[in-house]
Order: sequence, then structure tokens, then C-alpha cells
Amino acid sequence: MLSMKNISKVYQTEKVQTHALRDFTLEVSEGEFIAVTGPSGSGKTTFLNIAGMLESFTSGDFILDGVNVGQLNDNQRADLRNQKIGFIFQGFNLIPDLNLFENVEVPLRYRGIKSAERKRRIMECLEQVGLASRAKHLPQQLSGGQQQRVAIARALAGEPRFLLADEPTGNLDSLMARQVMELLEEINRNGSTIVMVTHDPELARRAPRNIQVVDGQIADFTLYQHGGASVPRKSNTVAAVNPMSVEV
Amino acid sequence: MYKAMSEIKPIVNALKRSKVGAILLMIQIMITTAIVSNAAFIIYDRSTYLQQETGYPEDEILYFAITTFGEDIDLSQLFEETETTLREIPGVIDAAVIAALPLSGSGSASGFDTLPHDQHQNGDNRNVRAAYTTGDDHVLNTLGVKIAEGRDFRPEDIVVTNDPSMLAKVAIVSRAFAEEIFPDENAIGKTFYSGNTGVEIIGIVDTMKGPWLKDSRPNNVIIFPRVEARMYQNVAVRATAEDRASVRKSIEDKILAQYDKRVVINMRGMDEAKAGYNAADLLMLRMLVVLIVVLVMITALGIFGMTVFNINKRTRQIGTRRALGARKSAIVQYFLVENGLICLVGLFFGCIGAYYLGGMLLREYSLPALNNLYIVVTALSVLVVSLLSVLLPANRASNISPSIATRTI
Ligand SMILES: Nc1ncnc2c1ncn2[C@@H]1O[C@H](COP(=O)(O)OP(=O)(O)OP(=O)(O)O)[C@@H](O)[C@H]1O
Ligand SMILES: [Mg+2]
Repeated sequence: MLSMKNISKVYQTEKVQTHALRDFTLEVSEGEFIAVTGPSGSGKTTFLNIAGMLESFTSGDFILDGVNVGQLNDNQRADLRNQKIGFIFQGFNLIPDLNLFENVEVPLRYRGIKSAERKRRIMECLEQVGLASRAKHLPQQLSGGQQQRVAIARALAGEPRFLLADEPTGNLDSLMARQVMELLEEINRNGSTIVMVTHDPELARRAPRNIQVVDGQIADFTLYQHGGASVPRKSNTVAAVNPMSVEV
Repeated sequence: MYKAMSEIKPIVNALKRSKVGAILLMIQIMITTAIVSNAAFIIYDRSTYLQQETGYPEDEILYFAITTFGEDIDLSQLFEETETTLREIPGVIDAAVIAALPLSGSGSASGFDTLPHDQHQNGDNRNVRAAYTTGDDHVLNTLGVKIAEGRDFRPEDIVVTNDPSMLAKVAIVSRAFAEEIFPDENAIGKTFYSGNTGVEIIGIVDTMKGPWLKDSRPNNVIIFPRVEARMYQNVAVRATAEDRASVRKSIEDKILAQYDKRVVINMRGMDEAKAGYNAADLLMLRMLVVLIVVLVMITALGIFGMTVFNINKRTRQIGTRRALGARKSAIVQYFLVENGLICLVGLFFGCIGAYYLGGMLLREYSLPALNNLYIVVTALSVLVVSLLSVLLPANRASNISPSIATRTI
């Protein structure tokens, strides 16, 4: 579904070259729920941005749903983002001058979906996140957790194959964070593939598959069984504790 | 497919929720449209006025006055000799003593009738205003105008007198006067009246303006074949355009050499006299041009500034929209539509404002009625300027990376 082979990303600034990702290789299959963890600056956001085609990569191969992303132009990437990917951001990124309904509508308008169908989908998604009754409210009239649920509704409205979330609970208290996590789990049960970056080990453990990124590379991955009990798949899960002793 | 026009509803809603900037811009566009359309119309009106055909070769003609203080001489004879002297200066085409100088701002005008004064009660008299001047059989050639119908003055037509009651019996008139006093008929040979004195029209000149371009009848002119020699006497000289400057230098010496108890004053070209008469209009015209340029520039800068401000304020929003699938063109269109909407509302009120401002100028300053075409053209131009002012910053906005959405918290 999503396949990255030897992806590298180099940020070139005036004085320094930053290798944000190096030889990053990952396969994600349909229906997975992956939590990405790792120290600050290790390249998690970079990975997610490349996966979501928000950024280009320096070298490597990236196939998304059968499409070779490296060969797409800007418009094609925008269209593909619109059709296949739903984003959930740490800062929610709702548009402050639009009410909840209009916010959820944004990606649907870019896709050119007809008004009646838009309305149906928007209300359905707002229903799913429990905010249908507040469709006419502005984002600033909502709590952080509610705003993030609207953002999730917006990500879902386009019925994307992928949900990419960069620290979706980073700005939320633990109760709200758990609510958001439960929502994501429900969405995943309904069939969406989710890749979520998080700093919260507890939330990470709830995801069936964990990836740890250190220094721009996958340092470790762990598969947990559904139901929460963790079963180490690889022997060096200690790496989660001691990131320095890693093997890829 | 995505269509920018489908964004109108959310854009309008978003504008309603943060309207201060939009309203200020609307007001600015409104004022600009109202003022610029009127200013442009006034400029057009004044510049056609300034560029109107006067009928004279303005760059060939010189005017001056001679004040004679010597009392030991026959003025009539002196001026006849003076004319001859002037005509002999190399480069001079012709010269004539003249009562009132065209385009100079000073002269005489009166009403002339189709019936003698004694018969006014008997029938339909028509009274037509005209400026009038006098000269001999050289005056037309000196002013550089040509007879279109009829004939020029002959020496025997000329009345040489200092007696104001001695009137000429014939006259040459401008076509505007001929057509106004004898509409729908050939005026040659017809008689008009000044009081009870009949004057026969013997010649018509197509175009010649009177002394005042701003007169209610600037085109109605009558020339009587009459020579009066006065202590203060206007004289006109026509030279070729190339020779006029050298002629101008030699005139005074020649005149004083002939008889020195007199002074030559107020020497000027007809073009200079006209420019002096029109100086205030030209100044106003230039100020209006500056006003238009400044207003349009301020509006363009205002729109540019507001768009830049909005883009900076909405960097994250733009990145998010890109992340959610907006193409670059959709971002440009968003700002174009947003600005277009503000602009259209401003233009709507601006057109109404222009209409009322035009009406007010008409009433208060008796300017001609504003042609609505000027409102339409101004509105379209303001729309174009405003869209162009958006284009540059909007284009920059479309290059905001979608990764902004995840990189800024
Ligand atoms: N636009 C950029 N220009 C230069 N360097 C960048 C840029 N964006 C990211 N980097 C660098 O790339 C590296 C990886 O950054 P990234 O944001 O992917 O880390 P992260 O794992 O998401 O960290 P965090 O947990 O703090 O969000 C860092 O060293 C960062 O400084
Ligand atoms: Mg990050």
C-alpha cells in the first residue's frame, strides 16, 4: 500500500546539511495502525510529510497505492493528497474564519464533490466525532479536544485510504488524548490505515505496530497484539528504552 | 473538478466574520471609483476644450499694443504708415490694426438682431450674441483665416473714422454666428441689425473664435471693416512660424524709428495669450491627473498590502489548504475571488457615489453632466488594477509549502 525504499531527505541550509532521513525503508499494508515514536529531531515529521507528499525527498523510491510518487508533478501530488490522504495535525489547523461545517467541507470542495453529497458526508463525519450539533460553531468556540475531533472529521470526510497524524494528542490533556485515540482506533477498525506520530508511550503501545525512528532511520519496530498486551516481535525491543543500541 | 467560483459562499462567510479590513478596502475602492471617474471626465472635458480648433495659426501671430503720447501727428495716417512698415519687415506675412484680439481674454460682445430695433414689436426678432472686432482689408489675412463663402473686404468697404456713430454697412462673420442668426438658409447677402443699423453679411469664415473661449458663444464672431486709430491701439502681425521670433525683436525698433513719441507694450504670441487665458485650466488638469494617479496607486498599494498581510496571517491556513489538496492555482484563485468580491461591492457603491458626485458637480460648479461611460470604464479599470495588485502576493502565497501545516504549531 505504502512502500518506501531507501528514502533520504537532506535539508540544505546555507551552512549545514541536515540528513533528516537516511535510507529509510518501510512497508505499510492496508488496515494497519502504526505508531511512530522517537526522540525529538529524529525525523518523524519528515517521514510523515514525505508519506503525505507534503515534502519531496532527496533520493529513494516511494510507491503510494501503486503510484510512483517521485514522478508526480505538483498538481498531481495535490490531487493525490486530496483523494488518498487525510491529515491530522498537532495544532488542529482548523481555519478560524470557517465554521465546523465549512472546515470539514474544505477538502471536499477541492475534490469538486456536489453540494448535496458534501452535506451528507460532512454531517456523517461530524456525527461520527460527536459534534454534529455544533456544525455552525466556529473553531474558537470549541475545546482543544473538540477541535481535534473536527480535524479528524475533516480528514475522514474525503474517505481517504490513509490517515496521517503528527502528534494528534500533543496539545491535549490526557483525558482528551484518550478520547481522540479511541476515535482513531474506531476509524482503524472501520478499515482506514493510520500512521500516527506520538511522544506518548502509553498511546503508542495501544497501536498494533510501533516504529521507532532514531537519527533518520528506523531503529526498531514492535508488533503488539490487539487487545493491548505487548508481544515483542524482535529481540531488541530494549532499543525502545535504550535507543543507542539499535540494529535495523 | 474544483471551481474557484464554488468558493464564493465560504469566502463570503469568512469575510463576514472578519470584516474590518475588507470594509476599509471597500470604502477605498468606492472613493477611488467615485472620484476617479469624475476626475477623468473633467480631464477629458477640459482637454478637448484646451485642444479645440481656434481657426487661427496661433504660432504665427503676434499681438501688441501701441500707446501714442505725441499729439503733433495725424493718428490715422500714422497707423496706415505703421501697417506698411510692419508688412515690410522680412518674414512678415501681413499686419493690421485691430480692435479686439482673439483668444486674448479682452474684447467686445453684443447682441445682434434679425429685425431693426424699431420693428421688434412687429414680429419675431431673433437676438444672437457675438463678439465683434474691426479691421481693414488685411485683417483676415493677418489673422490667418480664410473666406469660405462670399468675399473678403475690399478697400472701398473700409470705414476710416473715429466717430463711434459711423458704422460699417457690411461684415464678415463666423459660420457659427451665420447659422445661429439665419438657421437653415444661406446667410450671404442677408442683413442683421445692430440697433437700427443694418449690416450685410458679405463673407463667412468656417472657424474663428472670439476673445473668450469660455464665453457662452465662443464661436460667434463678427468683423466689421472699420479702422479707428486710437491713442491706445492693438495691432496684430502674422509672420511665418520660423521668423516670428526675429520679427518680434525688430518690431519695436522699426516702429520707434518711424515715430518715437509712442511705446510698444504687451507684445505676445497668440499661442502665449491663449496659454495665459487657459493657465488655470491647465493647472487644474494637471492636478487632476496627479490626483488620479495618487488615488489609483494608493488603492493598488492598499490591496497589495492587505493581501500581503492576509497571506502572512494565513500562512498556516494556506499550508493546510495545500495539504488538504488545494492546487497552487486554487490558492491564487482564492485570493482573486476574495478580492474580486470586495472590489465588486466597493465598485457598486463607487458607481453610485460617482453618479451623485457628478450630479453635485453639475449643480454646484455647472460642470457638464458626467458621461456614464466614464463610470463604467473607471470601474473596470479599478477592477483590473485591483486584481493585478492581488496577483503578485497571491502567487507568492501559492508557493507556501504544504509542509508548513506540520512544521508550525
Ligand atoms: N525545513 C527544514 N530545514 C532544515 N532542517 C530541517 C527542516 N525541517 C526539519 N529539519 C531538520 O530535520 C531533522 C528532522 O526533523 P523532524 O521535524 O522530522 O523531527 P521530529 O522527529 O518530527 O522531531 P519532533 O519530535 O521534535 O517533532 C531535524 O534535525 C530538523 O532540525
Ligand atoms: Mg515532529
